[in-house]
Amino acid sequence: MPEHDEKRWTCEEFEKALPELFERAEGGKLSADPRFAAILRDCPQAAELVRDLEYIAETARMLLEPEGEAPSSDLWGKIEREISSKDSIQ
Amino acid sequence: MTQNNTTPVAGHFKRNPPIAGEADALERAKNGDPDAFSKLYALHKRRVYTLCLRMLGNVSEAEDMTQEAFLHLYRKLGSFRGESAFSTWLHRLTVNLVLMHLRKKGLQLVSLEETINPSEEDAPKRDFGSRDPRLSGSVDRVALERAVATLPPGYRLVFVLHDVEGYEHNEIAEMLECSTGNSKSQLHKARLKLREILRQNEHAALVQESK
Repeated sequence: MPEHDEKRWTCEEFEKALPELFERAEGGKLSADPRFAAILRDCPQAAELVRDLEYIAETARMLLEPEGEAPSSDLWGKIEREISSKDSIQ
Repeated sequence: MTQNNTTPVAGHFKRNPPIAGEADALERAKNGDPDAFSKLYALHKRRVYTLCLRMLGNVSEAEDMTQEAFLHLYRKLGSFRGESAFSTWLHRLTVNLVLMHLRKKGLQLVSLEETINPSEEDAPKRDFGSRDPRLSGSVDRVALERAVATLPPGYRLVFVLHDVEGYEHNEIAEMLECSTGNSKSQLHKARLKLREILRQNEHAALVQESK
Protein backbone atom coordinates (compact mmCIF):
# COMPACT_ATOMS: atom_id res chain seq x y z
CA MET A 1 0.00 0.00 0.00
CA PRO A 2 2.72 2.50 -0.95
CA GLU A 3 0.42 5.53 -1.15
CA HIS A 4 -0.31 5.16 2.56
CA ASP A 5 3.22 4.32 3.74
CA GLU A 6 4.52 7.82 4.18
CA LYS A 7 1.19 9.51 4.79
CA ARG A 8 0.79 11.61 7.90
CA TRP A 9 -2.80 10.98 8.90
CA THR A 10 -5.11 13.04 10.98
CA CYS A 11 -7.42 10.97 13.15
CA GLU A 12 -10.40 11.95 11.00
CA GLU A 13 -8.65 11.09 7.73
CA PHE A 14 -7.65 7.74 9.14
CA GLU A 15 -11.17 6.90 10.31
CA LYS A 16 -12.59 7.92 6.94
CA ALA A 17 -10.11 5.66 5.12
CA LEU A 18 -10.86 2.65 7.33
CA PRO A 19 -13.15 0.73 4.91
CA GLU A 20 -10.36 0.62 2.32
CA LEU A 21 -7.57 0.10 4.87
CA PHE A 22 -9.34 -2.86 6.48
CA GLU A 23 -9.84 -4.45 3.07
CA ARG A 24 -6.14 -4.18 2.27
CA ALA A 25 -4.85 -5.24 5.69
CA GLU A 26 -3.35 -8.72 5.95
CA GLY A 27 -6.09 -10.94 7.38
CA GLY A 28 -8.17 -7.82 8.04
CA LYS A 29 -5.85 -7.11 11.00
CA LEU A 30 -5.06 -3.42 10.74
CA SER A 31 -3.77 -3.19 14.31
CA ALA A 32 -0.95 -5.60 13.49
CA ASP A 33 0.33 -3.51 10.57
CA PRO A 34 3.42 -1.54 11.63
CA ARG A 35 2.63 1.18 9.07
CA PHE A 36 -0.31 2.25 11.22
CA ALA A 37 1.35 1.92 14.60
CA ALA A 38 2.00 5.68 14.86
CA ILE A 39 -1.52 6.81 14.01
CA LEU A 40 -3.02 4.18 16.32
CA ARG A 41 -0.73 5.36 19.12
CA ASP A 42 -1.54 9.04 18.51
CA CYS A 43 -5.33 8.60 18.13
CA PRO A 44 -6.67 6.54 21.03
CA GLN A 45 -10.25 6.78 19.79
CA ALA A 46 -9.23 5.44 16.37
CA ALA A 47 -7.25 2.66 18.05
CA GLU A 48 -10.33 1.67 20.07
CA LEU A 49 -12.49 1.77 16.98
CA VAL A 50 -10.07 -0.46 15.07
CA ARG A 51 -9.82 -2.84 18.02
CA ASP A 52 -13.62 -3.12 18.29
CA LEU A 53 -14.20 -3.56 14.55
CA GLU A 54 -11.52 -6.26 14.35
CA TYR A 55 -13.11 -7.97 17.33
CA ILE A 56 -16.55 -7.91 15.70
CA ALA A 57 -15.14 -9.37 12.46
CA GLU A 58 -13.31 -12.12 14.38
CA THR A 59 -16.40 -13.02 16.40
CA ALA A 60 -18.47 -13.10 13.19
CA ARG A 61 -16.33 -15.96 11.86
CA MET A 62 -17.61 -18.10 14.72
CA LEU A 63 -21.15 -17.70 13.41
CA LEU A 64 -20.44 -19.81 10.31
CA GLU A 65 -21.10 -23.00 12.27
CA PRO A 66 -24.66 -22.62 13.55
CA GLU A 67 -25.58 -23.61 17.08
CA GLY A 68 -29.19 -24.37 17.86
CA GLU A 69 -30.83 -22.92 14.77
CA ALA A 70 -32.51 -25.60 12.66
CA PRO A 71 -35.50 -25.70 10.33
CA SER A 72 -38.67 -27.26 11.73
CA SER A 73 -38.72 -31.04 11.88
CA ASP A 74 -41.46 -31.36 9.24
CA LEU A 75 -39.48 -29.54 6.55
CA TRP A 76 -37.80 -32.71 5.27
CA GLY A 77 -41.24 -34.30 4.83
CA LYS A 78 -42.35 -31.35 2.70
CA ILE A 79 -39.21 -31.61 0.57
CA GLU A 80 -39.69 -35.37 0.11
CA ARG A 81 -43.33 -34.89 -0.94
CA GLU A 82 -42.35 -32.17 -3.39
CA ILE A 83 -39.64 -34.35 -4.91
CA SER A 84 -42.00 -37.35 -5.19
CA SER A 85 -44.74 -35.31 -6.87
CA LYS A 86 -42.29 -33.83 -9.39
CA ASP A 87 -40.67 -37.22 -10.06
CA SER A 88 -44.09 -38.79 -10.71
CA ILE A 89 -44.94 -36.04 -13.23
CA GLN A 90 -41.66 -36.54 -15.16
CA MET B 1 -27.86 -12.61 -11.84
CA THR B 2 -24.80 -14.64 -12.68
CA GLN B 3 -24.97 -18.14 -11.29
CA ASN B 4 -21.35 -18.96 -10.68
CA ASN B 5 -21.62 -22.10 -8.64
CA THR B 6 -18.44 -23.85 -9.63
CA THR B 7 -15.74 -21.22 -9.23
CA PRO B 8 -13.20 -22.49 -6.70
CA VAL B 9 -12.44 -20.04 -3.92
CA ALA B 10 -9.40 -20.93 -1.80
CA GLY B 11 -10.76 -19.30 1.35
CA HIS B 12 -13.96 -21.24 1.07
CA PHE B 13 -12.11 -24.58 0.92
CA LYS B 14 -10.33 -23.53 4.10
CA ARG B 15 -13.56 -22.49 5.81
CA ASN B 16 -15.64 -25.35 4.45
CA PRO B 17 -13.63 -28.53 4.97
CA PRO B 18 -15.27 -31.76 3.77
CA ILE B 19 -17.71 -33.31 6.25
CA ALA B 20 -17.40 -36.98 7.21
CA GLY B 21 -19.69 -39.10 5.05
CA GLU B 22 -20.44 -36.26 2.65
CA ALA B 23 -18.47 -37.51 -0.38
CA ASP B 24 -20.08 -40.93 -0.26
CA ALA B 25 -23.58 -39.48 0.21
CA LEU B 26 -22.95 -37.08 -2.64
CA GLU B 27 -21.99 -39.83 -5.08
CA ARG B 28 -24.93 -42.00 -4.09
CA ALA B 29 -27.35 -39.08 -4.24
CA LYS B 30 -26.13 -38.24 -7.74
CA ASN B 31 -27.06 -41.80 -8.69
CA GLY B 32 -30.58 -41.29 -7.40
CA ASP B 33 -30.32 -42.85 -3.93
CA PRO B 34 -33.05 -41.10 -1.86
CA ASP B 35 -31.46 -42.08 1.47
CA ALA B 36 -28.23 -40.42 0.39
CA PHE B 37 -30.07 -37.21 -0.45
CA SER B 38 -31.70 -37.36 2.97
CA LYS B 39 -28.20 -37.66 4.46
CA LEU B 40 -27.05 -34.56 2.55
CA TYR B 41 -30.07 -32.71 3.94
CA ALA B 42 -29.22 -33.82 7.48
CA LEU B 43 -25.61 -32.72 7.06
CA HIS B 44 -26.36 -29.28 5.63
CA LYS B 45 -29.84 -28.24 6.80
CA ARG B 46 -28.63 -26.14 9.74
CA ARG B 47 -26.14 -24.08 7.79
CA VAL B 48 -28.46 -23.55 4.83
CA TYR B 49 -31.35 -22.59 7.11
CA THR B 50 -29.18 -20.28 9.24
CA LEU B 51 -27.83 -18.60 6.11
CA CYS B 52 -31.39 -18.02 4.85
CA LEU B 53 -32.52 -16.77 8.26
CA ARG B 54 -29.65 -14.32 8.55
CA MET B 55 -30.18 -12.99 5.04
CA LEU B 56 -33.97 -12.73 5.32
CA GLY B 57 -34.49 -12.08 9.04
CA ASN B 58 -37.75 -14.04 8.96
CA VAL B 59 -38.28 -17.63 10.15
CA SER B 60 -41.11 -18.50 7.78
CA GLU B 61 -39.35 -17.15 4.70
CA ALA B 62 -36.13 -18.85 5.81
CA GLU B 63 -37.93 -22.21 5.95
CA ASP B 64 -39.43 -21.66 2.51
CA MET B 65 -36.06 -20.74 1.04
CA THR B 66 -34.38 -23.72 2.74
CA GLN B 67 -36.96 -25.95 1.07
CA GLU B 68 -36.37 -24.18 -2.24
CA ALA B 69 -32.59 -24.56 -1.88
CA PHE B 70 -32.80 -28.32 -1.31
CA LEU B 71 -35.29 -28.80 -4.15
CA HIS B 72 -32.94 -26.83 -6.39
CA LEU B 73 -30.06 -28.94 -5.11
CA TYR B 74 -31.98 -32.13 -5.97
CA ARG B 75 -32.42 -30.93 -9.55
CA LYS B 76 -28.88 -29.57 -9.98
CA LEU B 77 -26.86 -32.14 -8.06
CA GLY B 78 -25.62 -33.75 -11.26
CA SER B 79 -23.92 -30.52 -12.29
CA PHE B 80 -21.70 -30.40 -9.20
CA ARG B 81 -18.21 -31.23 -10.45
CA GLY B 82 -16.25 -30.85 -7.22
CA GLU B 83 -14.19 -27.83 -8.26
CA SER B 84 -15.10 -26.24 -4.93
CA ALA B 85 -16.14 -27.68 -1.59
CA PHE B 86 -19.70 -29.00 -1.78
CA SER B 87 -20.86 -26.71 1.04
CA THR B 88 -19.35 -23.70 -0.77
CA TRP B 89 -21.29 -24.65 -3.90
CA LEU B 90 -24.49 -25.27 -1.93
CA HIS B 91 -24.16 -21.97 -0.07
CA ARG B 92 -23.61 -20.03 -3.28
CA LEU B 93 -26.68 -21.70 -4.77
CA THR B 94 -28.64 -20.73 -1.64
CA VAL B 95 -27.38 -17.13 -1.65
CA ASN B 96 -28.39 -16.78 -5.30
CA LEU B 97 -31.88 -18.16 -4.60
CA VAL B 98 -32.37 -15.83 -1.63
CA LEU B 99 -31.22 -12.81 -3.63
CA MET B 100 -33.55 -13.79 -6.47
CA HIS B 101 -36.36 -14.06 -3.90
CA LEU B 102 -35.54 -10.62 -2.49
CA ARG B 103 -35.57 -9.10 -5.96
CA LYS B 104 -38.92 -10.74 -6.72
CA LYS B 105 -40.26 -9.24 -3.51
CA GLY B 106 -39.71 -5.78 -4.84
CA LEU B 107 -36.05 -5.06 -5.32
CA GLN B 108 -35.98 -6.02 -8.98
CA LEU B 109 -36.80 -2.58 -10.33
CA VAL B 110 -34.24 -0.75 -8.24
CA SER B 111 -30.61 -1.69 -7.97
CA LEU B 112 -29.57 -3.10 -4.62
CA GLU B 113 -26.91 -0.41 -4.48
CA GLU B 114 -29.62 2.14 -3.85
CA THR B 115 -31.97 -0.09 -1.94
CA ILE B 116 -29.45 -1.34 0.62
CA ASN B 117 -28.62 2.15 1.82
CA PRO B 118 -30.60 2.52 5.03
CA SER B 119 -32.24 5.66 6.25
CA GLU B 120 -30.24 8.26 8.17
CA GLU B 121 -31.62 7.16 11.50
CA ASP B 122 -30.49 3.59 10.87
CA ALA B 123 -27.01 4.65 9.84
CA PRO B 124 -24.20 4.44 12.38
CA LYS B 125 -23.32 7.71 14.03
CA ARG B 126 -20.01 9.23 12.95
CA ASP B 127 -18.64 11.24 15.84
CA PHE B 128 -15.00 11.85 15.07
CA GLY B 129 -12.85 12.68 18.03
CA SER B 130 -15.30 11.60 20.69
CA ARG B 131 -14.40 8.71 22.99
CA ASP B 132 -17.01 6.13 23.83
CA PRO B 133 -16.62 3.16 26.09
CA ARG B 134 -15.07 0.37 24.08
CA LEU B 135 -16.46 -3.11 23.82
CA SER B 136 -15.63 -5.23 26.82
CA GLY B 137 -14.11 -8.04 24.76
CA SER B 138 -16.64 -10.49 26.09
CA VAL B 139 -19.18 -10.27 23.28
CA ASP B 140 -20.22 -13.83 22.60
CA ARG B 141 -21.75 -15.33 19.49
CA VAL B 142 -25.28 -15.14 20.93
CA ALA B 143 -24.96 -11.39 21.56
CA LEU B 144 -23.49 -10.85 18.11
CA GLU B 145 -26.16 -13.01 16.44
CA ARG B 146 -28.89 -10.94 18.12
CA ALA B 147 -27.21 -7.70 17.11
CA VAL B 148 -26.84 -8.87 13.49
CA ALA B 149 -30.57 -9.67 13.41
CA THR B 150 -31.37 -6.03 14.23
CA LEU B 151 -29.21 -4.57 11.43
CA PRO B 152 -30.95 -2.84 8.52
CA PRO B 153 -31.35 -5.44 5.71
CA GLY B 154 -28.68 -4.02 3.40
CA TYR B 155 -26.05 -3.88 6.12
CA ARG B 156 -27.03 -7.36 7.27
CA LEU B 157 -26.67 -8.86 3.79
CA VAL B 158 -23.16 -7.53 3.23
CA PHE B 159 -22.02 -8.35 6.78
CA VAL B 160 -23.31 -11.94 6.59
CA LEU B 161 -21.86 -12.52 3.13
CA HIS B 162 -18.43 -11.05 3.95
CA ASP B 163 -17.72 -11.54 7.64
CA VAL B 164 -19.68 -14.74 8.27
CA GLU B 165 -19.73 -16.56 4.93
CA GLY B 166 -16.30 -15.34 3.84
CA TYR B 167 -17.10 -13.94 0.38
CA GLU B 168 -14.76 -11.34 -1.10
CA HIS B 169 -16.02 -7.86 -1.96
CA ASN B 170 -15.77 -8.52 -5.70
CA GLU B 171 -17.99 -11.60 -5.31
CA ILE B 172 -20.50 -9.68 -3.19
CA ALA B 173 -20.51 -6.83 -5.70
CA GLU B 174 -21.32 -9.31 -8.45
CA MET B 175 -24.07 -10.96 -6.41
CA LEU B 176 -25.66 -7.70 -5.27
CA GLU B 177 -25.04 -5.93 -8.57
CA CYS B 178 -23.26 -3.07 -6.87
CA SER B 179 -19.71 -1.70 -6.93
CA THR B 180 -16.94 -3.19 -4.77
CA GLY B 181 -16.55 0.25 -3.20
CA ASN B 182 -20.19 0.15 -2.17
CA SER B 183 -19.76 -3.33 -0.70
CA LYS B 184 -16.73 -2.16 1.34
CA SER B 185 -18.56 0.92 2.52
CA GLN B 186 -21.68 -1.07 3.50
CA LEU B 187 -19.57 -3.57 5.41
CA HIS B 188 -17.82 -0.81 7.34
CA LYS B 189 -21.13 0.83 8.19
CA ALA B 190 -22.53 -2.54 9.25
CA ARG B 191 -19.60 -3.11 11.62
CA LEU B 192 -19.95 0.43 13.02
CA LYS B 193 -23.66 -0.13 13.56
CA LEU B 194 -22.99 -3.46 15.27
CA ARG B 195 -20.45 -1.78 17.55
CA GLU B 196 -23.07 0.82 18.45
CA ILE B 197 -25.73 -1.85 19.17
CA LEU B 198 -23.36 -4.05 21.17
CA ARG B 199 -22.14 -1.12 23.27
CA GLN B 200 -25.72 -0.06 23.99
CA ASN B 201 -26.54 -3.63 25.02
CA GLU B 202 -23.48 -3.81 27.28
CA HIS B 203 -24.41 -0.49 28.86
CA ALA B 204 -28.01 -1.62 29.40
CA ALA B 205 -26.78 -4.85 31.03
CA LEU B 206 -24.49 -2.86 33.35
CA VAL B 207 -27.35 -0.55 34.37
CA GLN B 208 -29.54 -3.58 35.02
CA GLU B 209 -26.85 -5.21 37.15
CA SER B 210 -26.35 -2.10 39.24
CA LYS B 211 -30.03 -1.94 40.18
